[in-house]
Amino acid sequence: MTPEEIIATVTGGLPPAVRCEADYHGVMLRVPAGHWLAALMFARERLDCDFFDWLTAVDEAGEGFSVVAHVYSLTGRHHVLVGTLLPRSAPRLPTATGIYQGAAWHERETHEMFGVGFDGHPHPAPLLLSAGFEGHPLRKDFVLAARAAKEWPGAKEPGERDVPQARRRLPPPGVPEGWRPS
Amino acid sequence: MTGAAPGGGPPARSRGVIALLEENCTACMLCARECPDWCIYIESHKEPVPGHEYGGATDPAHAPAGRGRQRVRNVLDRFAIDFSLCMYCGICVEACPYDALFWSPEFSYAETDITALTHEQGRLREWMWTVPPPPPYDEGAPPPREVRGHIP
Repeated sequence: MTPEEIIATVTGGLPPAVRCEADYHGVMLRVPAGHWLAALMFARERLDCDFFDWLTAVDEAGEGFSVVAHVYSLTGRHHVLVGTLLPRSAPRLPTATGIYQGAAWHERETHEMFGVGFDGHPHPAPLLLSAGFEGHPLRKDFVLAARAAKEWPGAKEPGERDVPQARRRLPPPGVPEGWRPS
Repeated sequence: MTGAAPGGGPPARSRGVIALLEENCTACMLCARECPDWCIYIESHKEPVPGHEYGGATDPAHAPAGRGRQRVRNVLDRFAIDFSLCMYCGICVEACPYDALFWSPEFSYAETDITALTHEQGRLREWMWTVPPPPPYDEGAPPPREVRGHIP
């Protein structure tokens, strides 16, 4: 399917709340959270995207979290991104594992990394982080504590052995001003 | 990954290890500051340059005007790259203005102790022997500036 054919199929088959955009790297369906599963089912059945590639989230700061899935058609060799924007206060989606089983690991990872909940997930345990890890490391407000605990190797001037104590230490990127490891 | 991969080696454009030509390093700190992973450690000190005490003159009376100050240079004491942190972005190689950092295709340096992945100066220097010569210039490219006979 060409991008034009995908857009025509989507416009005819999904509610008008679903926006369909094409740019140089493909077609993206932007759907309201309520149409998330319907859009994925549509991609699998009507757009023939039988291969689930990946699912992840993007921290859009003030706007909330985007959850994006990439699906591909092994026969048609076309691909589609499906994305939805969730509020920052309660980012929740129904699980897509009923449509694409391969989404299970990706949803677990998105859950631990961004704190997006996937209702109905068969095994919502952390995938990569150790048990008891606090926080969601891929959120933009996650403090990069390692940056505050470790001295920046570039702080020294050439030929200097130590960083002069008088120089004001700027907080490294990812660490708020005045933050101290507790 | 250690040892030969199936098919005789890593695929094209793979990155192996970063080598240090310490003779070229001026301890300018640019690589350590550009490194996104903070994995380059440099220690250096300043030493007077012998023979330049009075701008090259042997006694202060004949020092050229304004050249009386002692010249110093940076001497490298430690240069280490922690390959357990390195993400092989190559920004340090790009950032070095003195041609002191190079990519080597060697990749067989896996360790069971994570601290052993910090390669100190001597080990980084040894990797230099494995750095391939630079690729030839494209056909029709202008000759490099340093062999054109003059610097415009």
